[in-house]
This record gives sequence, structure tokens and C-alpha cells, in this order.
Amino acid sequence: MALPLKYNLRSLFLRKMTTLATAGGIALVVLVTLLLLSLVAGLRHMLISTGRADKLVVLRKGASSDVMSFITRDAYQAIRYLPGIAQTPEGEPLVSPESISQPLLPTKAGGQEIVLMRGVTPIGFQVHSNVRLVAGRMPNPSVNEAIVGVAAARRYQGLEVGDSILFGNYKWNIVGTFSSNGTAYESEVWLDVGSLFNNDAKRGCSGIRLVVAPGADQEALIRRIADDPRISLLAQSEIAYYEEQAVGARVLYLLTLVLALIMGVGAVFGAMNTMFAAVTHRTAEIGALRAIGFSRRSILASFITESVCLSFLGYLGGVMLGVCTIFAINSLLQGLAFQLPSFSTVVVSLRISPTSLLVAFGLAIFMGLVGGFFPARRAARLQVTEALRKG
Amino acid sequence: MIEIHQVSRLYRRGVDEVHALEDVSLQIPDGTFVALMGPSGSGKSTLLNLIAGLDQPTSGVVKVGAQNLNGLSEDQLAAWRAAHVGFIFQFYNLIPVLSAIENVEVPLLLTRLAKADRRKHAELALSIVGLADRKHHLPNQLSGGEQQRVAIARAIVVDPELIVADEPTGDLDAKNADDILSLLRQLKSEFHKTVVMVTHDPRAIRYVDQTFHLEQGVLVNGATAVEHA
Ligand SMILES: Nc1ncnc2c1ncn2[C@@H]1O[C@H](COP(=O)(O)OP(=O)(O)OP(=O)(O)O)[C@@H](O)[C@H]1O
Ligand SMILES: [Mg+2]
Repeated sequence: MALPLKYNLRSLFLRKMTTLATAGGIALVVLVTLLLLSLVAGLRHMLISTGRADKLVVLRKGASSDVMSFITRDAYQAIRYLPGIAQTPEGEPLVSPESISQPLLPTKAGGQEIVLMRGVTPIGFQVHSNVRLVAGRMPNPSVNEAIVGVAAARRYQGLEVGDSILFGNYKWNIVGTFSSNGTAYESEVWLDVGSLFNNDAKRGCSGIRLVVAPGADQEALIRRIADDPRISLLAQSEIAYYEEQAVGARVLYLLTLVLALIMGVGAVFGAMNTMFAAVTHRTAEIGALRAIGFSRRSILASFITESVCLSFLGYLGGVMLGVCTIFAINSLLQGLAFQLPSFSTVVVSLRISPTSLLVAFGLAIFMGLVGGFFPARRAARLQVTEALRKG
Repeated sequence: MIEIHQVSRLYRRGVDEVHALEDVSLQIPDGTFVALMGPSGSGKSTLLNLIAGLDQPTSGVVKVGAQNLNGLSEDQLAAWRAAHVGFIFQFYNLIPVLSAIENVEVPLLLTRLAKADRRKHAELALSIVGLADRKHHLPNQLSGGEQQRVAIARAIVVDPELIVADEPTGDLDAKNADDILSLLRQLKSEFHKTVVMVTHDPRAIRYVDQTFHLEQGVLVNGATAVEHA
């Protein structure tokens, strides 16, 4: 039978300071890992929930975001009446040409960040049907009015209802604040530009969002747009588009894992050091246990168990610190700013996912196992008679 | 009966060889209390370790009761010790984070006894050594003599036939040493244990049935029976 867990727990408790210091090292690794993973999870969640299955993003071929895209009035006209596109009850196609710009705006904290400013025409508000006002009113067409996403309004100076901003030689009055289920739109400023083309063939828009009619063949519509030789446009589902914007999250995820492993190695040495000291200190105890009849295996298991308990303690501490830090970041700072591949800033709420907790748990237990293995092996390899001479 | 037949134990340290025991033969009848005596380095602990199944001789035969210890594997020896040998050490070697009763229960973890039975056995053992009222104390809350009595309770809790003690009074004052020695004698007389003790303590002569004297690994006087008044 194995040695009881209380033996390990109390041995850890007996060496309070060493245990706290070692568990603290592990807790810090868990904390940093959890924070980064929560940023990744928050970012992925935000971007992926921004996309909707029934919407298409149309860009110039080769453009990876609407920031880099340009679509002429003729191309816009060419796709506007394609079959499979939803229409308003009045028969207007739900096709929203949008003009994207990326001005620098001053943050309330005193910095400057690139913000996505989306120029839309009145139909845009119907295409983006998940945008809801939380304050003020919708802009009136063509009178230079703007609405601001809640995250942007919180983060940047002068974006409250009643404020006005200068942009493109015009003054825009902010008349409303909108939310959109925590999506990336909430980090944007939307200008009502009336008409984007003004009957001028040389003017264009950045990209087009459109709604696919219920029951229509979305793939056929995508193919139809791609195959049209006159326009050189590419359509994709909005979900696919935002998943592509989330590649940064994937890179960050990998970086996080690499960083976590590097920090983990440091903490492993801490745990190893502590456990080696424990074995040295308890040599006579180990000798007595072996004499009484406990096997090398049960000594090995007991010290590994102790090390894993130590790392589990660190995990609990790290998660507790992490939850508090994430709560503080989300509620006091309203999330963290993150730059997308298109350079626009989105405000991300950190998100503790079960997967992040599991990854951090795995990391902590791994640290305990590795840090405990070599000291435990030394304990198990002690010669009984030698260990007893250390009385 | 413990039978030691022409036992030698050689330690190799690089090219140096230490003959810790040379051609030692002796017999210890069941239910006797014997002392192994001799100067430091004479091989007393080495001999005790062989009798207790902690070590194997370089040559010769060690038999304890029906069991020939030669050729047993490490795991077999451990299982044999768990069932048949109780250990008492000079520095008690209690587990500092476990209470007196929990320390006494430790050897029972290697048996099939249920938790409640383990507690009952441990309480009985503690009451035999007179420490029933201190069962929840940690080792560092007990005096040296009390700690050694807890260790004795731990040694007898599985009811082994053989108790081995390596200088059990080496760290105690005269009063406590006498208490421990009479307790060991009681184990022999009341519970019919065979008790083998290594000691430097001349006081021990008054308690044991027999002494063996070692010098430089050699048994010098065979068995000396001790007359009791
Ligand atoms: N593991 C070992 N390796 C090498 N030599 C050893 C080892 N163990 C014991 N010896 C040597 O064997 C001899 C006998 O040692 P042992 O411990 O049996 O003596 P002892 O009679 O118990 O002495 P003491 O009264 O000091 O405890 C000593 O010379 C000792 O140095
Ligand atoms: Mg000795």
C-alpha cells in the first residue's frame, strides 16, 4: 500500500516558506500562461463571433482585408443584382459598399491607436442587422453623423454622444453608441457617408458586405462572383474572413506555448531544487520507511506525489491570481487593445476558457512530475543501511 | 531461532576492502533478549542489519525462524521485514509530520487491515508503551524517551517475532535508558519476542539474557549468558 497523502501534504506544510516560494514560481508561470491564453481565447472568440454565416465579404482579388481592397462603382453595380442576394421588403438588395479608413485616435490613457473607421450608406445598417443602439439614435443620411461602438467609445477620447470628430475635411457629429454582441464592430467608428459613389465612376469603396437570401445557394453565389471576368472580385463568408483575421491569435497561441515552456523549465528547476533538499533532509525518515518494508517504488511514488501536490498548489494560486487579474483587466481597463493583421485595433475582453485552464493545469502537473522525478529517484535509490546511518 | 553460520560481510570502497564481519557464527533462541556489544566499528550494526534482512552477507548463511534470508530478492526481503521484524533506532526515526498514533500506524499500511482496525491496533501498541494519552502529539512535542517509546510501539504494532534495536538508549539519559531497557525486557518476557539490541550501554547487562562481543568483525567470546538475580 502507498504512503498516505497527508504525509506529503504535511511535509509540504512543515516547510512553509520553501513550499510557498516554489509554488509561487509555478503560480507565476501558470498566471502568465493563463493571461496569454485568455487573450488568445478572447481574441478568437471575438473575431469568430463577429462573422455571420449568412453574410459575404466581397474584396478585390488578392486583398486579405477590406483595408487593402478597392472596388469600383462598376464592379459594385455588377454584383448588386446577382441572384441569391437578400433584399429589403422594398426590393433593395442587402448589399453594403463600405469605405474603410484607419485614422489614429487618442486613447483616454494618453496614447494613440489605429482605429477602424467604417463609412457606410444607409443600407449598411440593415446589412449589419446585429448592430444595436445602446445610446442616442441612428444617424440621419447624408448629414455627417456618426455612431461609435461601445468598446471604442470607452477607450478613445471624444467619442461620446454629442461629441464631434474631424475626418476627411468634415466634422462628424456623434449621435449614437452601438453594441454588437461583443464583436469586433464594437471597436469601430461608423460614419454615414450618404452615397459612396456620388455618380462618379472613378470613386469606389473598400469592400462590400452582403446578405445571402435565405435558402439561396451561397457557394454558387461565391463562385459566380469569382468567375466574373469583368470585376476581379473574391467573395467569402464573413466567418471565413474573420477566421483569417484571427491568424494573429494562432501565432500568439504558439508563442504563448513556447513562452510557457521556457518559463516552465525555470520553475521545474525550482521544484527540483526544493525536492532534492527534501530528500536530503528526510534521508533518515526514508531509511526507516524502507526498513519497515516500504518498497523503492512506494518511496518514488510518494516523492513524485509530493512534488505534484506542490505544483498543484502553484496551479491553484496561479488560477486564483489569473482570475483576479483578468477580472481587473476586463472591468477596470475594459479589456486589452490588440492589433489585427489589418493594423486596426480591437479591444479584446480576456476570456478564461476551459481549454486554457486545462493547458495551464497540464503545464503545472508536468512541472511537478519532471521536477519531482529526479529527486524521487534519488530517494528511491538510497541504500537502506546507508540512509539509516544518517540518523 | 536465529542462526548465523560462518557469515562474512565485506565492504569494498574502490580498492580498499573493509572486513566488517569475518566468519561469524552464532545462534539466538526464540524469546530471548540479547545484546551485541563491542567497540565502535567492530561490526555490530552490520551484524544486526544482516539479522534484520536489511543487508545480505558476502558469504555465510542467515536464517531467522523458518526463513533462510540468503537469496531473497529485495522485494521479498522487504515483505518479510514488514511481517516479521520491528525496528528501533538510536534517533527514533519517527516521521515528524505524523502524530504518535499515525506513526505507529505506518507499518500497518503494509497490511490488509482496514482503517478502523489499524487505529485499534495502534492504540493498543501505544497503551503497551504507556503513551495512550499522548497519541495526538507530534514527535517534537514528546521527550526523547517518549519518542523512543512511540518507536517501540511502531516496532511491535504488526506483532513481529523479532525486534531489532540499534543503540536504542544511545541518545537518552540514565532514567529514560532504564525505562526503555525494561520495556524491551517486557517485550521478551510478556510477549515472547526475540529482541536483538546493539548497545554500548553497560547498564544493558542487567536486562539481557545474553551478550555477544565483537571486535574488528570477529566474535570474541561466543555467547555469554547473563545471570539474573
Ligand atoms: N557501507 C559501508 N561501506 C564501507 N564500509 C562500511 C560500510 N558500513 C560499515 N562499514 C565499515 O564496517 C565496519 C563495521 O561497521 P558497523 O557500522 O557495523 O560498526 P559498529 O560496530 O556498528 O560501530 P558503531 O558502534 O560506531 O556504530 C566499520 O569499519 C565501518 O567503517
Ligand atoms: Mg553501529
